[in-house]
Amino acid sequence: MSRILAARRLAPVLVAWGIGPSVSHQFEIEAKRDGAKAIEAEHMLLALAAGPGGDVAKLLGEAGLDYHRLAAALRDERRRTLAFAGMKVPDTKLVATTELDGSLTFGTSAKAAIRRALVGARHERHRRHLRSTDLLAGILDAELGTVPRALAISGIDRAEMASRAWGFKG
Amino acid sequence: MPTPPSPLDGPADGLAAASALRAIADELEDAEVERAMRAGWSWSQVAEALGVTRQAVHKKHLRRLLLAQIELRRRNGE
Repeated sequence: MSRILAARRLAPVLVAWGIGPSVSHQFEIEAKRDGAKAIEAEHMLLALAAGPGGDVAKLLGEAGLDYHRLAAALRDERRRTLAFAGMKVPDTKLVATTELDGSLTFGTSAKAAIRRALVGARHERHRRHLRSTDLLAGILDAELGTVPRALAISGIDRAEMASRAWGFKG
Repeated sequence: MPTPPSPLDGPADGLAAASALRAIADELEDAEVERAMRAGWSWSQVAEALGVTRQAVHKKHLRRLLLAQIELRRRNGE
């Protein structure tokens, strides 16, 4: 599995595991919207939350979250983080550049989330397809980093949400 | 098992800040290199201003500058 995760293009792997190309595409949209050079866990989380009426939306809704609230939580996290270094969030015009063509790669936090989702799906249910809720659980299982910080700032019980995501049966 | 550290306390803010600042520094470098090259700076001038080698700037930024269709100065034009 580590060889798969080291590959530059993880999206086809996700598709093979039953995660639709539209979801992978949405990961990339969120990363580009954020001006990021790689897809990170927070972009995956936003992309999953962007799917209206799905299982992920249901789980997030139980915790009082939706796409817009998550996006706001991530903005709060960024503000707090930069404030630590005495900085404000820079004007997007200041750092605007020509966008590179081609697809983005998955960053470390995204790969870790996917690895946890794959391992969890395999161990717990002995199946060869991933649900979007497995990916959500894989993202929520991170204890440190941007997503847990954003959720902690918003007063969300991440561990509890992760355990509900793992136990989600649809 | 030891309790995991809080994502917000102790070194967590500082480590998150270090990571965020690194990303911003990269974005700022991309934007300013592009701006400098549009303004007709040479690779060597950009490298000198950044305090890195000409080769390093070239390797890191050439692809994006070509995509941006910026007219780049040749070496003998520097």
